[in-house]
Amino acid sequence: MMTKLRSYGPATLLLWVLVLIYLFPVAWFILSSFKPGSELFSLPLSILPENWTFSGYITAWNRFNFAQYFFNTGLVAVVTTVLTVFVSAMTGYALAKYKAKWLSIFFICILATTMLPTEVIMPSTFVVIRDLGLYNQLAGIIVPSIITATGIFMFRQYFKTVPDELLEAARIDGVGEIRAFFSIMLPLAKPIAVTLAIFSFQWRWNDYIWPLLVLNDPNRYTLQLALRSIVGADNIDWSVLLSASVISLIPMVILFFVFQKQIMNADMNSGLKD
Amino acid sequence: MNPVLGRRQLMLGGIAGTAAVGLGLSACSDGAGGGADGGEVTHMQFFLSGDANQGGGFAHMAAKYQEETGVEVEIVDVANEDLTTKLKNAALANDLPALARVGSIDATWKDVTMDLRDILDTNDVKSELAAIDPDGKVLSLPSDITAVGMFLNKTLFDAAGATYPAVGEEPWTWDGFTETIRSVQAATGASYGMVMDRSAHRLKAFLYEFGSNTFELVDGAFETNENTKPALEYFYALNDDSFMPRSVWLSDGDPNGLFKSGDVVAYCSGSWQIADFAVNIADFEWVSVYMPKQPVRVTNYGNAASIVVFEGTGQEQAALDFVNWLFTPENYTELSETSGFLPAVNGITVTYADNAEAFELYNEEIEASDEVAARLKTQDLEGEIEGRTLEGDPLRDETVKYLNDEQDVDTTIANIIELLNASL
Repeated sequence: MMTKLRSYGPATLLLWVLVLIYLFPVAWFILSSFKPGSELFSLPLSILPENWTFSGYITAWNRFNFAQYFFNTGLVAVVTTVLTVFVSAMTGYALAKYKAKWLSIFFICILATTMLPTEVIMPSTFVVIRDLGLYNQLAGIIVPSIITATGIFMFRQYFKTVPDELLEAARIDGVGEIRAFFSIMLPLAKPIAVTLAIFSFQWRWNDYIWPLLVLNDPNRYTLQLALRSIVGADNIDWSVLLSASVISLIPMVILFFVFQKQIMNADMNSGLKD
Repeated sequence: MNPVLGRRQLMLGGIAGTAAVGLGLSACSDGAGGGADGGEVTHMQFFLSGDANQGGGFAHMAAKYQEETGVEVEIVDVANEDLTTKLKNAALANDLPALARVGSIDATWKDVTMDLRDILDTNDVKSELAAIDPDGKVLSLPSDITAVGMFLNKTLFDAAGATYPAVGEEPWTWDGFTETIRSVQAATGASYGMVMDRSAHRLKAFLYEFGSNTFELVDGAFETNENTKPALEYFYALNDDSFMPRSVWLSDGDPNGLFKSGDVVAYCSGSWQIADFAVNIADFEWVSVYMPKQPVRVTNYGNAASIVVFEGTGQEQAALDFVNWLFTPENYTELSETSGFLPAVNGITVTYADNAEAFELYNEEIEASDEVAARLKTQDLEGEIEGRTLEGDPLRDETVKYLNDEQDVDTTIANIIELLNASL
């Protein structure tokens, strides 16, 4: 064992220590979900449950319609992510490759939206959504989330680095604008698309405030809305909350393992030139 | 180079996206089950918070109601802190549920509530806890009562050989209480003597016990009496990071978790904790005891929440029928026994399956309470009806600043009065 440890460099050992530090709260959280409520606050604190129990899981599973909430949250996250990537790519492409004065002003306007906290524009967005008939619809939480200045900015900066000659050559060969975008530009921007998709999916999966304002029907609740209902006025059913939280993480963990390679390579700067 | 997505995937994605948005757009947004068009109501929504955490009494009664009448009352459990926001937005979108159990009346929807006078009179609901406007319209009925109370770690008390006033004995004073708690703390090595929820509701009980009237509206302006300042100074002295942990009031530490750890001698909270402690404390014995007095014997009690029925849903009569059914003595008793509620209906005898003596103690405390608590509760309800709104909670927020040495006690009192007057 000692020989094995010595074979590691100090940097590797340091990284292992960091891994353990990061792993500790997650492991404690998962192990705590198997504790009865009476053990959660016992002193001295213990990592492993003294009496393993699934009661929290059973209560959570019986109390919540997880299948419905997974479906709603998944639908919102997938549809929004797909639309966000396409719309951001198209907008970023237009802003990078078409020359018009108003486009620059338009781009500054898009960037300006990042300077306003989301909460500031929520009342106005709510009125728009309500008047469009999207209140209490999943579309009501999808539509306002599609446009993200961050995504547009990422694609614009990337497309600016693609030589104009490439597009001109394609146009000379008779390629139309739509085909040029889908066959040439979008494949080139794959790293950006994947990065944005990962971020967008996480944002939408974890959204709470906007769905809270827009969704009134429990059958359309997203996972976060449902989980939060466990928090009462003066006490919290921790054993149920912990178990329900673990269940809610499972799809994200599966997704992580499926797209592990892309996620590990997802870097806000990938494909961007300094 | 391979494209990111093939043509087929693009088409499928496009179709899926369009279909999903279309589905969302075309889905029926009416949470109602008839009634809006004058048809028979078969389903309605009841918004509330914390039912599942309190024994699921409302869900249990809704199931019973459906069995008896065929009408489904869907219980929508919303996080307590978000219930106000949710109802405000539902009102703005003209999509209020049939009824709700709310913490307070909100100006956004107070004009679209049904008059619950008949239900109040028929079932002898405690009228002093109902929101009644100057015209006599009953906007809300108390769903149940909560009261501030003291819990002790009996195991620590026994280990220290200390005693506390038993039921029927003279309650202790705050001086006697703190002295006893400190002795138990010293004898057992407990980290803290007492924790108290970071809440104006709990602090008001403390102030009342010192003879304070907290902050009362007199002739169009808020004022307080001479007992408030010494009471706040006493509270400041308790928050010394030895008797009370400063983390609870200054940084929102969890008093419930601290008490459950077994490392705290006493916990000033309220009747709603009984059900939680019965299930989630196994390492030590706990007991409900009298609140101290100094010299006033009083607890801060009132409606834990209130039931309102909304107008304009097309389900008004169905909701009124359900509430009336819920408040009949037999059904209300069943609700109270299931959820561990202190009853808000006169003449009800509730037989609690567990911790009956603790509930009995709370009822006795309410019975023995000085009139100041009821007087100030009535004032709060009047404020709700008038639509007075406050930013935050002046009493709690300014007291936190005082505990944090940001301002002195006189400034604290002056600021609270100024903020309350600004709401008029």
